[in-house]
Amino acid sequence: MIWNRLSLVCILTLLFQQMAFAQQASGDFLRSIGHIYVVVAVILIIFFGIVLFLIYLDRKLTKLENQIKENE
Amino acid sequence: MIRQSWWKILAVVILVYTILAGMLIPLKPGIAEVTPRALQAGTEVELTVTGYNSYYAKAKNDLRAWLKLKGDLVLKAARIEVLNDRTMKLHFILPQYLPSDSKDDACSLILDSPIDGAIVLPEGIALTQDSVNLLEGKKLWSVDKMDQLNAGPKLTFPYRSVLYESIRNQYFHVPLWFAMIFLFMFSVNFSVRYLRKYDPDADQRTLALNRAGFVFGLLGTVTGAIWAKYTWGAFWSWDVKQNMTAVALLIYSAYFILRGAFQDEEKKARLSAVYNIFAFAALIPLLFVIPRMTDSLHPGNGGNPAFGGEDLDNTMRMVFYPAGIGWTLLGFWVASVAYRVEKLQQRLLDA
Repeated sequence: MIWNRLSLVCILTLLFQQMAFAQQASGDFLRSIGHIYVVVAVILIIFFGIVLFLIYLDRKLTKLENQIKENE
Repeated sequence: MIRQSWWKILAVVILVYTILAGMLIPLKPGIAEVTPRALQAGTEVELTVTGYNSYYAKAKNDLRAWLKLKGDLVLKAARIEVLNDRTMKLHFILPQYLPSDSKDDACSLILDSPIDGAIVLPEGIALTQDSVNLLEGKKLWSVDKMDQLNAGPKLTFPYRSVLYESIRNQYFHVPLWFAMIFLFMFSVNFSVRYLRKYDPDADQRTLALNRAGFVFGLLGTVTGAIWAKYTWGAFWSWDVKQNMTAVALLIYSAYFILRGAFQDEEKKARLSAVYNIFAFAALIPLLFVIPRMTDSLHPGNGGNPAFGGEDLDNTMRMVFYPAGIGWTLLGFWVASVAYRVEKLQQRLLDA
């Protein structure tokens, strides 16, 4: 579980570093090509938001599964 | 399986369509830049035009351009020099007088091409003249006519300065709020049902719908902040609608905190049901009444025109309405999974 979370944090940090790097490279990355990356950022935020909620539900289910196992 | 979850399949199909159509349909060709922006009557000028999504080179011999003043008075470009698809130089021979009774005037630039269609840069160029001669000016500006403009590509989204490609956020940011409203609406329905029948199942449904609605609300706020940074200049501009949604989300977060404050299941369910009804009663004025009463940056609020007209054309409607349905269905899907987890937990507690 802890590894899952750690890897997610690592991936997110890498992603943001990438974005920050790209920003330095081309002046303002999010403003390039008619602000298209603003849309990309919005879609990514929605995706990760829903994934985080899924992880929350997943952890709850794991707990319930363990409880069921204990009851048996 | 398919008979029960047809709406989940529908949600996926609609969202795939939303993302593909929303991202792949190009923006209408537009004018990104024109230099210089200030012209002097009686001189010969060269305007450098930078296009967006334009194909000047393809329509090299059929390009036309006009400077347009009020009252349909136009001046046709004497010569057009195309450098590439995105750049061209327009040469105008400005007459000595303007058809205007003051020394300054503003004109718009109109381009016409069989490929890109007619493109207007409204009121973007300033004109000045040394002396006023209204009659002569009118005569000089009435020589050219603007006729037979081309329609241009059909399947495009509007090109709006400031927004540019981020107009596509209309299919991702706005529907999140639709989804949130519908989720909260259904949760109120179940709260009322709980208070009438004291059915614990209704309480679990309320909780799950509120959780999903809250997630969508948070995502709506964050995506809105990103969009705002690149259109309004700041992540948070203390706009009424931003502030009121923050208040609404705080009210809803108190719902979850309130639930944590009770040990007794029935007391928890009963009080949170009452609170939830009040929360929704507060949400409606916060989101739909107060933002309309003062100045707001959001379209459709504080005297601003709503998305419509040139901001929301028929191509956008083709994507925007399905997007609303798709994201709402996804919201209910997320809520139904949360509900089943809650239900299972309750069953284990009861056992």
